[in-house]
Amino acid sequence: MTADDRRARPRAFRLDPQGQVAEAAMAQPVSKPPQIEIELQPDPYELKPVALPVDEAVVEMAQRRGMLGWFRLGWGGLFWSALGGLVSLGIGLWIDGLIEQLFSRAAGLGWIAVALAALVVLALLALTIREVIGVFRQAHVAKLHAALAAAHLADDTDAARRLVGELAALYAQRSSTAAARAEITRTTGEIVDGRDLLDITERLLLHPIDAAVAREIAEAAKRVSLVTAISPRAILDLVFVVGQIIRLIRRVAELYSGRPGFLGFVKLARSVGAHLAVTGGMAIGDSLLQQVVGHGIAAKLSARLGEGVLNGLLTTRVGLSAMAVCRPMPFAAGPQPGVKDVAPFLFGASQDS
Amino acid sequence: MPERSVTFFSNLLSEAQITARSVADYMGGTGLRLGVTGLSRAGKTVFITSLVHNLTAGGRLPVLRASAEGRITSATLQAQPDDAIPRFTYEDHLASLTLDRHWPESTRRISELRINLEFERQAGWRSRTGSLTLDIIDYPGEWLLDLPLLDKSFAQWSRETLEASAEAGRAGLAADWRGGLQGLRLEDAFSETAARHQAERFTAYLRASKSDRYALSTLPPGRFLMPGELEGSPALTFAPLPVTEGAAYGATTMAGMMERRYEAYKTHVVRPFFRDHFSRLDRQIVLVDALGALNSGPSAVRDLQVALGDVMQSFRAGRASRLASLFRPRIDRILFAATKADHLHHTSHDRLEAILRVLTARAITRAEDVGAKIDVIALAATRATREARVTHDGAQLEAIIGTPLAGERVDGELFDGVAEAAIFPGELPADPRRALRGDALAVPDTEADYRFVRFRPPVAQSGEGGQAKPLPHIRLDRALQFLIGDKLA
Repeated sequence: MTADDRRARPRAFRLDPQGQVAEAAMAQPVSKPPQIEIELQPDPYELKPVALPVDEAVVEMAQRRGMLGWFRLGWGGLFWSALGGLVSLGIGLWIDGLIEQLFSRAAGLGWIAVALAALVVLALLALTIREVIGVFRQAHVAKLHAALAAAHLADDTDAARRLVGELAALYAQRSSTAAARAEITRTTGEIVDGRDLLDITERLLLHPIDAAVAREIAEAAKRVSLVTAISPRAILDLVFVVGQIIRLIRRVAELYSGRPGFLGFVKLARSVGAHLAVTGGMAIGDSLLQQVVGHGIAAKLSARLGEGVLNGLLTTRVGLSAMAVCRPMPFAAGPQPGVKDVAPFLFGASQDS
Repeated sequence: MPERSVTFFSNLLSEAQITARSVADYMGGTGLRLGVTGLSRAGKTVFITSLVHNLTAGGRLPVLRASAEGRITSATLQAQPDDAIPRFTYEDHLASLTLDRHWPESTRRISELRINLEFERQAGWRSRTGSLTLDIIDYPGEWLLDLPLLDKSFAQWSRETLEASAEAGRAGLAADWRGGLQGLRLEDAFSETAARHQAERFTAYLRASKSDRYALSTLPPGRFLMPGELEGSPALTFAPLPVTEGAAYGATTMAGMMERRYEAYKTHVVRPFFRDHFSRLDRQIVLVDALGALNSGPSAVRDLQVALGDVMQSFRAGRASRLASLFRPRIDRILFAATKADHLHHTSHDRLEAILRVLTARAITRAEDVGAKIDVIALAATRATREARVTHDGAQLEAIIGTPLAGERVDGELFDGVAEAAIFPGELPADPRRALRGDALAVPDTEADYRFVRFRPPVAQSGEGGQAKPLPHIRLDRALQFLIGDKLA
């Protein structure tokens, strides 16, 4: 029973109105005054964040609008869907007619046409499945993101354990995450608070991907500013910028969860747009000044160079929005990197590095 | 077997009544029925008062998402659905908490309250505004102990009660009552005087076991402790007898009459109580005062475990489906809460939760098997203490500061209910099972590893217009998020 003896006994210290230990409480003889100090501790329940951080609320709003949203059928949508249906029927009719004609010409040709048509149908089916998977994957990521944010806020250990498992499953196909996944499985079994488990997971699993995404954004920004600076015609660099932005969004989604597919991409782009619309003036607003200054200096050197920097900035911002929206986990362990962290070269820092 | 078939039919009848009521509820669109369950002293009344106060007066509930996002537009008390049941005197309880700084007295009768929450939906297909009606019932916790009796015969109950009273911890308490049993013949003709005498002694034994010093929990029948309006009625004048199971006693003998009264108690007291208030719950919070039992000793903790396990068996848990919620409502979320978490430092809360998990393990497994959601938290509906670190002779103690109730005693100090004190209540064991090991009951102060002092309610801050602001709490918001958060999405 030695452990028992060492355990501290219950104690009481009577306090006077000033919050100090009252004299009467000191049972020990006066010759040896006991050293009793009382140090008030900050309220542990106040330390928790009051609500979702603003950034997080914006991300979830953006995800709801795109990745989780359904396509709403307005009159325009109805028009295009109906027209599309008619065109598909027309194509079907045409193929049918073609096959019949080929049969009437020669049976062999007809069979070849049938086989080709079957291949078309098969490929179409595969494409559709891929699209559906892409859309569902995006929705899954958005739901996971919201659940993880809630678990982090509530410091909910049970939810954290479950969600971390789901998160690891998302990356089960990637061999480069094997060590991180094993480590997370180990940690999940130990006694750990919900919030700590989530932070550990974020550090192990997502930070490497974050770095890859940041690199991707930086490269796209570099390419865009370079091409804008040297392209002979405005329309050419416009096409190039749009192409690069589409590629960048797809790439970010691919790194975080997997290929979005075409429909998934459309939903994703909607989310990125919604996120950009809010954060354009707010979250990245702190660096607005530098952006203007940077643009000013570059523009003084050459108008084309200035435009190049501006287009680079635009690409970076889109990339960062895509990063926030595609990430299956909120930025909790650290803040999201800003424009300056990802693309320092746009601010003339490249000379140093 | 005429008796058996009578029981069968009365069961069938009560099932039908439950179904009829739940269909009526469904049609009437009654909102969410929140079952606040807890044995006596678990803090049901304080929990309900604090919950209502925080919701209606806009308390700080950061983890309740709808509240944190500012989507709750109004929370008002409404007329309750049942006219035959007294209203929960929320205003009186609140006044006693905030003005007099007294805990509400133990509940003597059943009461009911309805809150209506108006909120804006997050987004989605349904209309933008939503409303949720919350029906809450307060009742004496002792009555909850009766629910397990529904499945027990007189003989079975007698045997269990007698066996329990022979245990080391209880034998001393039960000596008087058990002594009276010696002179009693089962086959004797029934006499009202003898029966009353037995019932009185039995009640005295139950009361003694329930006192703070012993803090035992498994003490049915609950109406003996808190008779309500039934005081002195024949349904309460019985006591367990050493009858043989399966044996038939004449209707006029002592045993026969006692059995009849026991059955009457079940039929007229327990079953209606269960049918009217517990058979149709949607969500349940089980408040457990583990600290009282821990104060007394391992034997009391084990007793609490048995009581909780028995009581929880009476509830219907399971995944809620549309059809089930129409005919046979099930509880799809159960929150186990260790109350009075403010009586120890927050660093000990994990250990308290671990102990609660062990105490309710049987109920948790059962509920999880049928697909209900479970959570376990340490909670304080009203927080009476602050936290501090006391450095004493080089040792650092994580203590709490508050005003202990008059008459509380720890470490040789007797408190007067006025002076504040920093209390280090001792450390809970790291292994929760240690709290259940041993036979000790009513451990004296000098030997206890931990001693949880009860504190007076905190001084209420007054807000605008002199109204008291909601009192601070610990994790009340998390409890609400778990219980009703999804309905406010």
